[in-house]
Amino acid sequence: MTGGFSLELKNVRFAYSDNEKRQDFSLYVEHFSPKGCTALMGENGSGKTTLGKLAAGVLRPDSGCVLYNGADIAKRKLGQIGRCVGYLFQEPSRQLFTAHPLTEIAFALELQGISKSEAEARAMELLRQFELEHIIGHTTYTLSRGEKQRLAIAATMVMEPQFFVLDEPTTGLDKRRRNILVQTLHTLLAKNIGILLISHDREFADALHADIRIMDGGRLVDEKA
Amino acid sequence: MKKPDPRIIFALVLVLSSFAVIIREDLKLMAGLMLMSILCALAIGVDFRKMFRRLKRLLQLLLVVSILRSIFAPSGTILLESWGIALLTVGGIEMGALVLLRFGLFLTSGAMLTCYPVRMLIQGMVQIKMPYEIAYMISVGVRFIPQLAEELKDSLIALQLRGVVIEDLKLRKKLSLYTYLLLPVVVSSMQNAKELAMSMDMRAFRAYQSRTSFFKLMLCPSDIVILCVISAFAVFMSVVLIMGV
Repeated sequence: MTGGFSLELKNVRFAYSDNEKRQDFSLYVEHFSPKGCTALMGENGSGKTTLGKLAAGVLRPDSGCVLYNGADIAKRKLGQIGRCVGYLFQEPSRQLFTAHPLTEIAFALELQGISKSEAEARAMELLRQFELEHIIGHTTYTLSRGEKQRLAIAATMVMEPQFFVLDEPTTGLDKRRRNILVQTLHTLLAKNIGILLISHDREFADALHADIRIMDGGRLVDEKA
Repeated sequence: MKKPDPRIIFALVLVLSSFAVIIREDLKLMAGLMLMSILCALAIGVDFRKMFRRLKRLLQLLLVVSILRSIFAPSGTILLESWGIALLTVGGIEMGALVLLRFGLFLTSGAMLTCYPVRMLIQGMVQIKMPYEIAYMISVGVRFIPQLAEELKDSLIALQLRGVVIEDLKLRKKLSLYTYLLLPVVVSSMQNAKELAMSMDMRAFRAYQSRTSFFKLMLCPSDIVILCVISAFAVFMSVVLIMGV
């Protein structure tokens, strides 16, 4: 259980039907219930990202179910899922939608009818929390990869998700920026926000004291590394 | 059956799309042109089922546009009326159908070009004296279209994962949402273009003035016959349009 939020995958089967490159791939997970910080590791093409996307509701299983707090998410819209589960893409630029960091965080709140001043105040608070005040006045697409990543996490955090899926967050980060990311994620863990980390970086997973699960050929290998 | 030379298809696409623009009100003529383009596309090997699957959303949008066009351009006999406002008229329906057929012609013409390998298309463009840089740019542009579609899809997912339920938004907010979606796609295409240009420079692209090619396209007798038929068709259509037959 993670801060009152539980995520469970039961008898989940998934195969790509329209992706020519991955038609030979199939995933099956009998039971997976990540708690605290869980790291999915394994070779390229082993199904880590697919499992992460299934857990975040981005992909829907062919059979089996994904449960949030015991309730099946099959009929929930992705936008509703986004209010309790955050997802950080491998390439953070794909999830930055505006030119200014403050509006980047505030616009999702504004779309939900929250006033501009209140949304910006909450955005400012998050920028401070993630030590990103120095990027106000910069344009989002000129930020460094590490800053983009932290901004993307801050922007997702504005919806107060209870669970976070991070896809290869350390790609392209130097040691200093990786340490900053570790600190940021520790802050999330301290708030009882669960993390599912998809990574090749064992050192990074260890720094987060993650429960490591290995994937191979679309299956979770039972042994814990 | 051997496919015609890509230059013949360029000529066919040029004729079809030009008449799709020129024909303004003649529904029968446009329908005839559409039928002809479908037959040509089938002969070249266009997979319409695949095309429909891929362009499902766009086709839905086109259908909506043509319905709107038929509502906002009322003329002729009124078929459906409410509170004194003509909602459905014969002329309006014809206008809507014209819009749908015109876009259908553009899509079918574009689909014909996708039946050829990029290398053949570039060579075809070069052999009709198009500068190599432009031919190459067009081929790169075509190559990036699926990637852009993929990025747009990812951005839409990322946006929804921010807790935005698009279906529940009012129309004004929905429209503003689409401007948000464009930024990551535009920025990433600019970055991709910059990286590709750098990579091409590093591979000595256009380091020498003249570029030769071992691979050459040759017109065979059947290509000449098809070209004559296309030219005759273009002349016939022009006469029909000018004389108003």
